[in-house]
Amino acid sequence: MKNITVFLCTCFDEINRVVDYERLCSHLSDDPRVAAVTVSRGLCVSGGAGEIGASVKSGDGRVLIAACSPLARGDQVMRDLERAGVPAFRRHLVDLREGCAWIHGNNPAAATEKALDLLNMGLTALEYKEPSADVTLKIADEVLVIGAGPAGMAAATALARCGVDVRVLERGAQPGGMLGLVSRSYPDNTDPSEKIAAFRDLAASDPRITFHSKVKIISARGYAGNFTVRFTAEGEELQAHAGAVIIATGGRVFPPKGYYRYGEVREVVSQIELEARFRKGPVKKENAVFIQCVGARCEERPYCSTICCPASIKNAMRIMDENENARVWILHRDIMMPGTTLEAYYKKAMERGVRFIRYAESDPPRILGDEAVETVEVRDDITGDRRTIPADLVVLSTPLIAGTDAEAIGDLFGIQRDSYGFFREIYPLHPVETRIDGVYICGSARWPVSSEQAMVQGEAAAMKAAALVGRQTIRASEFSRVPGAKFGHARVNEDTCSGCGNCAAVCSFDAIRLQRRSGEGEFRMVSRVIKVRCKACGNCLSVCPNGSMQMPEMNTKALYGMVGKAFS
Amino acid sequence: MMTGKESQNPVIVAGGGVAGLTAALDLAAAGRYVELVESAEHLGGRVSELDKIYPGDHCAFCPLWTDIRRVEDHENIRVRLTSRITAVERKPDSIRVTITTEPRYIDESLCVFCGRCREACAADAVRPSWEHASPPSFFIDKTGCTKCGDCVDQCPTGAIDIERPPVEIVLSADDIIWATGFEEVDLTPLPEFGYGTHPDIMTSLEFENWIAEAGVNQGRILRRSNGKEPRNIAFIQCAGARDRRLLPYCSGVCCMHALKQAQWIKRRAPEVGCTIFYTDLRTVGRDYFDYGLRSLRMTTGVDLVRGRPGMIRPLPGGDALALKYENTETQAVEIARFDVVILNGNLAPSQLLPGSEADSPVDLDSQGFVSAGRDGAAPFACGFSREPADIAESVLRASSSAVTLAGRKDGPEP
Amino acid sequence: MAVEVSNNHKQQKATERTPRILVFACKWCGLIGADGAGRKREPLPPNFRVIPVECVGSVEPDAVIRAFADGMDGVIVMGCHLGGCRFNDANHAAFKRLELLRALLEGVGIGRDRLLVTFGTAHEGHQFTDVLRNFTNLIAKKESLDTSWTSSRARMI
Repeated sequence: MKNITVFLCTCFDEINRVVDYERLCSHLSDDPRVAAVTVSRGLCVSGGAGEIGASVKSGDGRVLIAACSPLARGDQVMRDLERAGVPAFRRHLVDLREGCAWIHGNNPAAATEKALDLLNMGLTALEYKEPSADVTLKIADEVLVIGAGPAGMAAATALARCGVDVRVLERGAQPGGMLGLVSRSYPDNTDPSEKIAAFRDLAASDPRITFHSKVKIISARGYAGNFTVRFTAEGEELQAHAGAVIIATGGRVFPPKGYYRYGEVREVVSQIELEARFRKGPVKKENAVFIQCVGARCEERPYCSTICCPASIKNAMRIMDENENARVWILHRDIMMPGTTLEAYYKKAMERGVRFIRYAESDPPRILGDEAVETVEVRDDITGDRRTIPADLVVLSTPLIAGTDAEAIGDLFGIQRDSYGFFREIYPLHPVETRIDGVYICGSARWPVSSEQAMVQGEAAAMKAAALVGRQTIRASEFSRVPGAKFGHARVNEDTCSGCGNCAAVCSFDAIRLQRRSGEGEFRMVSRVIKVRCKACGNCLSVCPNGSMQMPEMNTKALYGMVGKAFS
Repeated sequence: MMTGKESQNPVIVAGGGVAGLTAALDLAAAGRYVELVESAEHLGGRVSELDKIYPGDHCAFCPLWTDIRRVEDHENIRVRLTSRITAVERKPDSIRVTITTEPRYIDESLCVFCGRCREACAADAVRPSWEHASPPSFFIDKTGCTKCGDCVDQCPTGAIDIERPPVEIVLSADDIIWATGFEEVDLTPLPEFGYGTHPDIMTSLEFENWIAEAGVNQGRILRRSNGKEPRNIAFIQCAGARDRRLLPYCSGVCCMHALKQAQWIKRRAPEVGCTIFYTDLRTVGRDYFDYGLRSLRMTTGVDLVRGRPGMIRPLPGGDALALKYENTETQAVEIARFDVVILNGNLAPSQLLPGSEADSPVDLDSQGFVSAGRDGAAPFACGFSREPADIAESVLRASSSAVTLAGRKDGPEP
Repeated sequence: MAVEVSNNHKQQKATERTPRILVFACKWCGLIGADGAGRKREPLPPNFRVIPVECVGSVEPDAVIRAFADGMDGVIVMGCHLGGCRFNDANHAAFKRLELLRALLEGVGIGRDRLLVTFGTAHEGHQFTDVLRNFTNLIAKKESLDTSWTSSRARMI
């Protein structure tokens, strides 16, 4: 069909001083697909997009722009055309500058041949483009926060302040999470129960917050803007319809079973057990020894749990507060307290008289004692001496590990976990975003963090969720992470789809489902694409055995066609 | 629907690095107008100057570029490059912010990158602006420009005005989010490091630039003194940091940065020995410790020595460097010979008005960090301007600041 | 689907002409790398053509085979580093698939070396030039491909 108008830009004579534009024009005029050819000096500054737009509006008119690279001004010309009413499937850009004239300046004949081929390929790409079926979605205006620990409470508070309705689902009977298990927060020894009480009051008084306790989630379906979650709360079955979901389910403490004679001798406790003692009353000890990195930074769990060094310092100084004669040792493998606040806190502990002894992973401390701990033997890695420390309390700092519900939550919402079971973000500069748009992760469910950091992350997730649900509608193409709208989504020809499922297996965004197709006595499985989730990467097309899966921007015919015309 | 103070005034984000870009995008997505003020001629800040980022080991450019483009395209964000906030006045109902913009003689919205200005310039004062700028444009270096005007005549789009004056505007803003990042502190006052006494003693950021794939050596690991491959490289951690004389705090990001550089050296030049001299190896964030372990497991290995060197000197003849240190794990004092020494740790918050006697536009603490408000109050600060922070911490705090600001009912504080 | 058969274009020995290289470059790392060379106006041999794709995931194995059938001497697929794909590791699947394809190419006599799968980053501007030159030299040393089994070029209508 003779429906393509070609605009050749010379880029102020930069391109045509190498490439023979007369040959290009004559060749293009002979092409059966080309309706007209125009040469321009500078399409990006001449502002002619409006006229170009008008000229192709009739019928299935399409426009091919041959100019500079999309990373130079070519993209701007495309956007001008978009604004002038030329949709993506009716336009195409060929780079004749950075991609041809500027790299083959010493060989004009070859550059012209290449330009002809690039134009030929561009025409092929353009003639096969199909309209992108963008979808407009209504956004549910509620946000679901799963977990009411510090991350979840901070997320819900931030959302409510922004005027967003938020529904909090808590597994336990009360909000608080890990904050409810510690007696004081570092570095200022604040009382965490105040924060929990403040949230409870807010949830009770602010009409925007609905709090459910004793929740079990039954099922979760949907996509950004439209999640449907069924759950029970205190036994009652309920359903929530949310625009975004924030996962703040936290982690849990690794119990030090098998380490340092825990469970064998008395007064060898985990850090969280010490916290529980503090909540009940003063802990009066003469010689307390904290051991860091118990079950952490080792082969089985090669990570640092972030909070154990400052937590030990906090509790060490608390023991010294409660008994002025107490002596406290912290046996460590590095003091993991970067930054300003934490470095100052470390210094404070040193000035206070907390004793720090560094041990090597290959030569860990030993617990000695019959029924209760009596001494701790340790090799001081800095002086090389072996020391025997009297001890009437040994506190083991163990890492946070993935919560018991992590796998179930991951499966329910289709988000990925790393090898430790913590939820994964997919982009380095977007730490709360997952592969499922509209589902956000924060706090220790994502990676072990302090309650302060968990609150910051909860607020960050709240920001993303609020921006999403603050809109009434959104186009599916806006979920693209690339500059410029993504071009539609993958499409299945259900008549030819064999239901093999290759596409569903390979999709990185969990955007394809195999579903039963029925009608006129026919029952078989076909693939269906969740349009919002599809990012148009093309993997599904490549694994489809019979070409049933296609992309509107470049379908198989276009790709093969371009290959065929590469050196014509 | 988001409510909060219904304000027509923009929010100003000071700094266009990862933290500032994130804050701007978050606020813009929530329907607020943003003025993004960046002192350099391009967005992206420090991360855009890095070769690789940890722990992913790929270049930061791709994900950063996406966010830069989204900021540039967003209808709610106005970007002001080569600009600084020079004064802030808090009034009863708004904040009056003075923004000063140094002029670019070449208007990047009109430049088509043809290069004729560069050909015409006899003083060699025209160079491409940031290599990843999209669209690319040329930039006139004012210190070299003789104002002859030859370039002006050559430009086909009339983009050049060599008389363009600095611009000062005063805006009424709803508030400011500070995201001005960090800068290096001069290590010359600390004599033990020998900084400045030999070309092969470099800071870690200088080294990053030197070995960058996109840099002058195209990724090759070479000595600055003689252009040959070094036999070994020493990384000195906490240089200037955790030090009462200079920076009492820990700069936070240097341990991972050294591990990253060591890993990449091993990948590109496996025979080069790498030794990291550290005090505490602070690999705290997601996947960081495992990343550090990888250093140890790689074939020829990266040596980790716990100790802070007390002396680094060029050897007589200048062919190599002597490094005297105590290995605190063996309690032995050693002198080792290295070809290159990298100093890590000298990071401080950026000066907001360098070279100026004027009052700081925001309260700073004694170390130059923004004294951020507590419990969601202004001033809002994120990234290194608030405290040492890596990429994840910076962008998280940026989003947190944005949502706190967006949710305020009462408007700016007096 | 009707198939039109047309005469093949000229077959010449690799030594008589510079090898024809087809590059499938993802629009992110691949193309930005190539664009870097263009911005610097680095002179490159003109024997290659670039087809930009959204992600190397959309490079169908069939398209690569077709490229050889249509007279290409070498094919380069250029994507982002593993772990750096903006489509959440879609390039992992692509890498595995293309490695299998290389084994297939070896089996049918085209040779695994004629398909180069490379992962670069947008930052590594010189990499595009280096990869192209090195690959061109490698292909030029090979015998020309005997594609008499595709003596007709099939075109889909």
